Amino acid sequence: MNGSQPLLATRDLTGGYGEIDILTGIEMTVAAREIVTIAGTNGSGKSTLAKAVMGFLPRTAGTIRFDGIDLLAQPAEKRLALGIAYVPQVANIFPSLSVEENLLVIENVADRRARLEAMYAHFPALKPLRRRRAGSLSGGERQQVAFARTLMPEPKLMVLDEPTAALSPAIVSKILALIRTLPEAGVAVLLVEQRAREALAISDRGYILDQGRIVLADTAAALLSDTRMAELYLGHGLTESDKAPS
Amino acid sequence: MDFALFANLAFNGLIEGAVIALPAVALTLVFGVMGFPNASTGDVMTAGAYAAQTGQIAMAGSIVAGVIVGSVASALLALVFYLCVFRFFQGRPSMYALVASIGLAFATRSTLTFFLGYDQRVFPIPLTRAFSFGPLRIVPSDLYILATSVGAIVLVFLLLYVTPLGRRMRAVADNPDLARSCGISSHRVLSAMWLIAGAVTGLGGILFGIKTVITPLMGWEALLPAFAAMILGGIGNPAGAIAGALTIGIAQELSTPFVGFTYKIGVGFAIMVLALVLRPSGLFNLSARVR
Ligand SMILES: Nc1ncnc2c1ncn2[C@@H]1O[C@H](COP(=O)(O)OP(=O)(O)O)[C@@H](O)[C@H]1O
Ligand SMILES: [Mg+2]
Repeated sequence: MNGSQPLLATRDLTGGYGEIDILTGIEMTVAAREIVTIAGTNGSGKSTLAKAVMGFLPRTAGTIRFDGIDLLAQPAEKRLALGIAYVPQVANIFPSLSVEENLLVIENVADRRARLEAMYAHFPALKPLRRRRAGSLSGGERQQVAFARTLMPEPKLMVLDEPTAALSPAIVSKILALIRTLPEAGVAVLLVEQRAREALAISDRGYILDQGRIVLADTAAALLSDTRMAELYLGHGLTESDKAPS
Repeated sequence: MDFALFANLAFNGLIEGAVIALPAVALTLVFGVMGFPNASTGDVMTAGAYAAQTGQIAMAGSIVAGVIVGSVASALLALVFYLCVFRFFQGRPSMYALVASIGLAFATRSTLTFFLGYDQRVFPIPLTRAFSFGPLRIVPSDLYILATSVGAIVLVFLLLYVTPLGRRMRAVADNPDLARSCGISSHRVLSAMWLIAGAVTGLGGILFGIKTVITPLMGWEALLPAFAAMILGGIGNPAGAIAGALTIGIAQELSTPFVGFTYKIGVGFAIMVLALVLRPSGLFNLSARVR
């Protein structure tokens, strides 16, 4: 964005779970304090891309650099210390731990008690629930626990996989409003969303995935007015072999 | 009805349940975190008992020293099993690790009998006179066994629910990938978990050996009631495993006047099967775990 090194950059990233390549030739960057949306139909490889960044994709080729470090050479558990926090699409909390324990799981924090109180100030609904099993919470409350946990270590980048899926419309707009404030706090966001419009509306840039390839990459404003977006989402696709998504 | 007889049987069952509770807790810990029923648990009990007896004799007859030697030895044995075998089955169907654990059980037993023979051994502990407490005739060593088991279980619970290591262990059990993305090294946590499970298992074997005798088959035979206790308690639930062990221990003892000594193991199983038919998630599984 401002000509300096991007925070996160993938180069010719290819990979999958088994023999088949789910991702092919992904070239993507996220700058510091930038919100970048990854959109695409169901099964287009959005979660797979997030997993590749987080170190959970069994087979990868190409490079992912974060802050000058070769991420693919780092085990998944090193990401947090490097400054990357992750909210996966499903199973994004520890259900048998209490709400507070879900936050205390993050141990690599200077003043953990103060940080915990800061999180309760940020998510006041969680404070009265602190002793409750996280598994007993509602979807919206769980998402707040997941956000609070990922914000505990003051990350440089948050990778959010469909943070608004399966939530009521009122909570969706709350979550999106929260994401919008993250860059002010110094956090960049890689936002995976199927709801492309809502996500792009709060983003700086976006990439549209189709069958594991980036088919559109532009500023959020340009993508929002791009007619090809509608075609993709109607399932026609941009590549010749495109069939209805799995 | 002879009340005194049943009271004494119930008390004896309580002691047996308290002993079986230890391997049952180890089984349920391993199942909760690794997702397979560890059939080598019984023979790690046996190994712990032999190590403790050998250690006690080497340490001038100190039973405390023997208990420490036996628990440490079984902890290390369980860690070795994890590092050399079970580690490689993570993320694979649980049948692989189960079969491997049966193999390790046989290997452990064969190794023990190769070096130590088949003769039964006893802990050299001075016999103490039973005293009366109401209708109960109580042997002091039973009280030590009960206190040791309770102490060990309290320690395990404190570790699991109060310390950061325990929180990490429960996080890994809940969701291993999420735990990794939270900076938790699952390898370290699992190593610690296996040390704890092994120590608790070995202690169970030692207490069992103190209560009865040490034989090469003792652990293998204790494995079945321990499994039953774990299942009765709702798999992955340590408090449930303890409740299950006490239930099975007491029920088995109370049944001996009716079914005889040889069939009492069957009673434990009958209770387990009945309970599972009535409540498939386990009798003591109050908090229907998300798994
Ligand atoms: N764990 C997995 N093992 C094998 N294939 C998978 C796995 N997860 C996803 N896939 C496949 O990868 C493709 C992309 O899936 P995913 O990244 O989840 O899509 P999206 O998040 O865009 O809906 C799909 O074809 C899906 O079937
Ligand atoms: Mg997805």
